[in-house]
Amino acid sequence: MGLISPPPHHDIYSIEDLSQLIFDLKNSNTDARISVKLVSEAGVGTVAAGVAKAGAQVILISSFDGGTGAAPRNSIYNAGLPWELGVAEAHQTLIMNGLRDKVILETDGKLMTGRDVAVACMLGAEEFGFATAPLVTLGCVMMRVCNLDTCPVGIATQNPQLRKRFKGKPEYVINFMRFVAQELREYMAKLGVATVDELVGRTDLLKKKEGIVGSRARKVDLTNILGNPYVGEKLAGYRKKQVYDFELEKTVDERVLMKKLKSALSTGQKRSIAIDVSNVDRTLGTIFGAAITRAFPEGLKEDTFTVSCTGSGGQSFGAFIPGGLTLELIGDSNDYFGKGLSGGKLIVYPPTGVQFKAEENIIIGNVALYGATSGKAFINGVAGERFCVRNSGATAVVEGVGDHGCEYMTGGRVVILGPTGKNFAAGMSGGIAYVLDEGRDLYKRLNKSLVSFEEVTDKYDVQELKSMIWEHVAYTNSEKGKKILDHFGEYLPKFKKIMPHDYRRMMNTIIQMEEKGLSSEQAQIEAFYANIHQ
Amino acid sequence: MGKATGFLEFEREDSAALDPKTRIKGYEEFHRPLNEKERRRQGARCMDCGVPFCQSGMMLKGMTSGCPLNNLIPEWNDLIYTGNWELAYDRLKKTNSFPEFTSRVCPAPCEAACTCGLNGDPVTIKENEHAVIEKAYAEGLAAARPPRLRTGKKVAVIGSGPAGLAAADQLNKRGHSVTVFERSDRPGGLLMYGIPNMKLEKWVIDRKIGVMEEEGVCFVTGADVGKSCKADKLLKEYDRVILACGASNPRDLELPGRDALGIHFAVDFLKATTKSLLDSRLEDGSYISAKDKHVVVIGGGDTGNDCVGTSIRHGCASVTQLEMMPKLPDERSEDNTWPEWPRVLKTDYGQEEAIAVFGKDPRVYQTTVKEFVKDGEGKLVKVITVCLSPEKDQETGRNVMRPVEGSEKEIPADLVLIAAGFLGSQPYVADAFGVELDGRTNVATEGDSHQTNVERVFVAGDMRKGQSLVVWAIREGREVAKEVDQSLMGYTNLA
Repeated sequence: MGLISPPPHHDIYSIEDLSQLIFDLKNSNTDARISVKLVSEAGVGTVAAGVAKAGAQVILISSFDGGTGAAPRNSIYNAGLPWELGVAEAHQTLIMNGLRDKVILETDGKLMTGRDVAVACMLGAEEFGFATAPLVTLGCVMMRVCNLDTCPVGIATQNPQLRKRFKGKPEYVINFMRFVAQELREYMAKLGVATVDELVGRTDLLKKKEGIVGSRARKVDLTNILGNPYVGEKLAGYRKKQVYDFELEKTVDERVLMKKLKSALSTGQKRSIAIDVSNVDRTLGTIFGAAITRAFPEGLKEDTFTVSCTGSGGQSFGAFIPGGLTLELIGDSNDYFGKGLSGGKLIVYPPTGVQFKAEENIIIGNVALYGATSGKAFINGVAGERFCVRNSGATAVVEGVGDHGCEYMTGGRVVILGPTGKNFAAGMSGGIAYVLDEGRDLYKRLNKSLVSFEEVTDKYDVQELKSMIWEHVAYTNSEKGKKILDHFGEYLPKFKKIMPHDYRRMMNTIIQMEEKGLSSEQAQIEAFYANIHQ
Repeated sequence: MGKATGFLEFEREDSAALDPKTRIKGYEEFHRPLNEKERRRQGARCMDCGVPFCQSGMMLKGMTSGCPLNNLIPEWNDLIYTGNWELAYDRLKKTNSFPEFTSRVCPAPCEAACTCGLNGDPVTIKENEHAVIEKAYAEGLAAARPPRLRTGKKVAVIGSGPAGLAAADQLNKRGHSVTVFERSDRPGGLLMYGIPNMKLEKWVIDRKIGVMEEEGVCFVTGADVGKSCKADKLLKEYDRVILACGASNPRDLELPGRDALGIHFAVDFLKATTKSLLDSRLEDGSYISAKDKHVVVIGGGDTGNDCVGTSIRHGCASVTQLEMMPKLPDERSEDNTWPEWPRVLKTDYGQEEAIAVFGKDPRVYQTTVKEFVKDGEGKLVKVITVCLSPEKDQETGRNVMRPVEGSEKEIPADLVLIAAGFLGSQPYVADAFGVELDGRTNVATEGDSHQTNVERVFVAGDMRKGQSLVVWAIREGREVAKEVDQSLMGYTNLA
């Protein structure tokens, strides 16, 4: 089954979006260093400054030269710049803006030797990433077929027949790293530098090679790289004390949820709680959700913890929440609602007594359920743009969506009880969407490159659709949902089932395998092998 | 390219060779090619490596790895798999002037460097090439295509071996008027008379020469430049002269009894057989016959093997092949990793035939001749051999083979064939043009250039590089063509 690779980040269209993502990630694991990987290119310094302000702790400048095995050839040859340029620019721009001590600068992209590390360090990097060279020590021959499951040296594959060919040993990587460290030490000794920290940003120790032959090479002007005006500056490297403060103690989770539900958290006891929220309460439920995951890695029973919120939800309401946590929101919510939903349940509906029709008004912002992997969401109203982008397993019911709904979706079920925006299901390679197409004009807004649509006729599909709407009504008391259930026979022909071609083929094979008497897991594996070589 | 999972689904399948006892009855090629379906499967085994060493043509530890012509192997393997034979031929001829020769005689350093060979058997690149070129001839794709314009420039190529032919072909296609001078009676150089007919049937050369003639290349045979044909005259009549006379000066063994009757150089032996075969199907008897003789071949290389195969076809009484170096291992040793040329024991066709006829491998390792013994009439009767053992030379630090005292043995012999390699070019051609030689009697040039110290005179092939492979010679020919074109026109668009 196809998968769009590399997948675009439709949750990040601005530095504010990125800042929010960094905040969400920090909430999901308060101990983690948040690292942002940037492509080495002209202007990367400006981006790096923004990323540092947005709260990243590590900035990785990645060059054009590495060996990403699955990358298309034209992007290998035509994207990015050498890390030397990116590191120098990022390092100097960060110092210029007084941000250098907030972040660790890392670089990667075909670092091969201790000399590479020394140069990168002198240009401003503090951490260094290796991939191609250690893989080569393990036997990689750079086939560039990592995505095809045909790696002839048994590295990028799960196929037992190919795995047998793997000849690598961990010792080889250790050995390689020792050589790199040894060479770095030798260079540092020659330069009279005792520690790597002292070497960071010392461009004064680099000089341009003399006697360069070739007319093009001679024209290279290294002034801005080697003429770093900040040599000797005190703030030329990361300092732990200067790290960005996310002020997590001010979140609803730390102030309320963690305190009030702490006792129940250790036992997994069922508890409910009601709170008021406003749109400054960003990323609600994430810290608490992470605590649940830590305490109960296998998850909890549905609805173990129910938080009933009243008011306007902030950005990333219920991001990454796990199974067992249910957030009910009486009001509305901002962007990134249910981002990365991981098993939890989200319910949102307007307060009783409102004058407008729920199914005609937007109730949650853009990019809801982006990258959700499992869980459920019931939305009594219309969602903004990019609904369920990259959803890979969550179930959602909503009463209308903006443009680019279900883009790059790879799994899960989505029911839309109203109109969609344009470019629906673009790049969708898995999962099923049921759309109520009352105007019979969905075909105009559907991106048909990977999917086809049909009426809902199969009895299992009808059953699934009906039970999802029933659940939606039960949780949100949706008027529209009730109307559909009351006149289901009338509405059913207006529903369209949207399904990717490859996904359909795979599903059919799985069913065939199951009919042969295989267990569902075996059937999936057999279907995988049956479809892989076509 | 090929099929992503082809290397897992299909095994390598070589074309079938005729049984040794049957094939020694004649002098014809003895491989039966696969049918089209099987061949396409072999194309499917190509893996579309990210880094295809097969086409890289590097020197690793002094040995060739990958194709020196940089043939676009993965591309045409894929085209074979998909059945696009015409396009495959287009891609093949882009880099290789003579696939019909290389697909028969090349030792295939491409296959040694094939990624598929890292964990199994490499792709049958050489036979795939053979399939493409023979299909191209069969379907008329390889027919003559004379240049549409003539530049009016005249180029003389001395020597019609692979380097000379490649240079001539390239320059003629470019529109220059090319004349090739050959001292023998037939063009082709070592291809014609150095390589026996069972490896490369001579009609294959005639076919290509015919196409080149149709395209406008002029061949003058029996023209021994520097002797019967004057160098000054050529320089006067032609704008440029390319020397491509090969490294045809055989290494001799200065040993007691070397003047005995019955000692020949391998090239003379092979040439005489091929010439007589072509002239009269060996009926004129004007060749050095090994019939009923005890043959000793000195030299364990490809030429030595050709001597073994030819002697057996003559009907020799016995054949022994002496090799100075130790026997190679059956598998790659630790310090001989892929994609280096595998230094492993290879039993070639001549040795296979000797095993089939005489029941034992003709090769004797770590042994050389110490003395030739002749009878009263000066005829060779036996050779005295001596064993060698490796020893580190104190001065150079290199391993050299030194004779072991008391290890002498006698082998009855009435025909000795010396296949001990070549020393360099025969200097009379270079002398005729006043061209300088280097210490190894190759023609001296600056770096990678093919320009000699004499203006308008260029050099290519073994004559510049020293004894080497046919593919290297073709590459040399193509490179000299580029340089000559540049010097004639002030620019070049030859690949």
